[in-house]
Amino acid sequence: MRAMWGTMRAELVGAGGVVERNVYLTRRYIWWDIAWFIWTVANTLTIVFIAKGVESSGVEFDVNEYMTYLLIGAVVWAYLGILFGFLMETVAWERWEGTIEYTFMAPLSRAMHLAGQGVFAILYGIVRAVFLFGVCTLFFSLSMPDANFVAALVVLAISSISFIGIGIMTSVLPLISPEKGTQLGFIAQGTLLVVSGVYYPVSVLPDWMQFLAKFSPATYALEGIRQAILEGQGVTDMADQIVPLVLIGVVSIPLGLWVFRRGELYAKRHGKLKRSG
Amino acid sequence: MSEPAVHVDGLLKVFEVAERDEGLKAATKSLVRRKMREVRAVDGISFEIEPGEIVGFLGPNGAGKTTTLKMLSGLLYVSGGEARVLGHIPSKRERDFLRRISLVMGNRNQLQWDLPALDSFELNRSIYQIPRPDFLALRDELIELLEVGDLVRKPVRQLSLGERMKVEIVGSLLHRPDVLFLDEPTIGLDVTMQKRIREFVGEYRRRHGATVMLTSHYMADVEALCERVVVIHHGRILFDGDLAALADTVAAWKTIAVALENGAGDLSGYGEVIHRDGDLVTLRVPKAETARVTARLLAEQEVVDLNVEDPPIEDVIELVFARESVE
Repeated sequence: MRAMWGTMRAELVGAGGVVERNVYLTRRYIWWDIAWFIWTVANTLTIVFIAKGVESSGVEFDVNEYMTYLLIGAVVWAYLGILFGFLMETVAWERWEGTIEYTFMAPLSRAMHLAGQGVFAILYGIVRAVFLFGVCTLFFSLSMPDANFVAALVVLAISSISFIGIGIMTSVLPLISPEKGTQLGFIAQGTLLVVSGVYYPVSVLPDWMQFLAKFSPATYALEGIRQAILEGQGVTDMADQIVPLVLIGVVSIPLGLWVFRRGELYAKRHGKLKRSG
Repeated sequence: MSEPAVHVDGLLKVFEVAERDEGLKAATKSLVRRKMREVRAVDGISFEIEPGEIVGFLGPNGAGKTTTLKMLSGLLYVSGGEARVLGHIPSKRERDFLRRISLVMGNRNQLQWDLPALDSFELNRSIYQIPRPDFLALRDELIELLEVGDLVRKPVRQLSLGERMKVEIVGSLLHRPDVLFLDEPTIGLDVTMQKRIREFVGEYRRRHGATVMLTSHYMADVEALCERVVVIHHGRILFDGDLAALADTVAAWKTIAVALENGAGDLSGYGEVIHRDGDLVTLRVPKAETARVTARLLAEQEVVDLNVEDPPIEDVIELVFARESVE
């Protein structure tokens, strides 16, 4: 028991080291991050302006609600992009830096290594998402009188587990294909974008895509966050969203680790664990 | 008798490499029907290294040196045979094993490019679970030994190649590994820096009793550090033994450079004339004949200066590479 606790403690400290390294790197590139944040704000504003565009065509609807609907979609999508980006970089960045061999030789289990990346991605992503939401809300002077932001954050945090699991699965792609793997990760992101109701209700999709949406954690995350902010629902009212999110998370993390392990074995058998080729 | 630090038996590594002819037709055809070729990068090698030994692992480019080191550090899975380091199977990635080895590659870096080395050292401390007092003591010892005190606070990308190599070595040794795999650690460094690193490796081994396996194309590294060499070519071991024994086996001669007073006549009776430049003649003679030939030259010729040398180690190694085996 003591030995097990000692091992777990060692692993957690190692994962903490990975988080710390990412903090240093973020600080190092902070101006690039700010520039990217400005781009994200611009991109989000573009999407939210769609509501204004529809309004100008003469259609009568609750513009404030629709703008908030689009804003939530854009912010969650940006958050998802950050999580996927950090996990894809687990391999791609290490390969670019030339540190990949050393990272894979470190006495840290792959699960904890990826957990460290995931924890930082979640923390960083939540901070950016909150800022992004705040800036865009102020820009449009959006009114959210019933919003339950705490419940929204809880849903976002729970959904993060599933996103991390899927992100881990895609992060194996640069291991298998050093040249094209990172780009392939966008396929997973793109698929989630189409089927998850990011900018439109899932009900407008064809039946087969609505079926696929059932397996996307983003579907439930978006529903739950929209219910919390637009309707003021609490966590206890969102069992239909939270239960699937928990189930997907419970499956996706071990599945993601298993997929990554298979990719690592492939890379070590075929000599792909190096800077290039 | 203690267990060897490194045990390799019939180690094999086979890669499958795609190949195709040039041209658009061949490129299109390869989409449907890919031709694969087997490359035996390491072809059944066997050796053992005792704790505390420094062994040079020599071979031309593509011989299988780095592939072997990567299998011994768990970065590559073996295709066949057995490899054990400190009693562990490297591919199993056991924590006890990973904490006791270090692989330093001269053309790679483990320190983050944009961070000061000290920040990366902290990460290593966390990952290798080094108690803080031990970490600080060894870190400061290594910084002092390698004289990098004013370099460790700069981002690594601002350091020169030699400076970077020194801080990389510090980072690789913070967890006090028992086995060091050094893959061309002095590549691209100037002569002074090469000497510094050689001295450091020797000192580290003396202080901490580490086992060292070194690959290098610089024979000065090998001569200065290695009691024993293993020569590998085309994935097979050509020689495993003392460096001196290698020279005796492959290049059993010495060179005699003699400067004569009144010009050099025909000296072919003393040995093989391999170079002549005015009054300066260089002869190649069998090792066993060196004393006799030297005595004859001194007795029969007007010698101004005479110098007897072993063949350069580079020439010896080149001869070894040219052979299929060394017996």
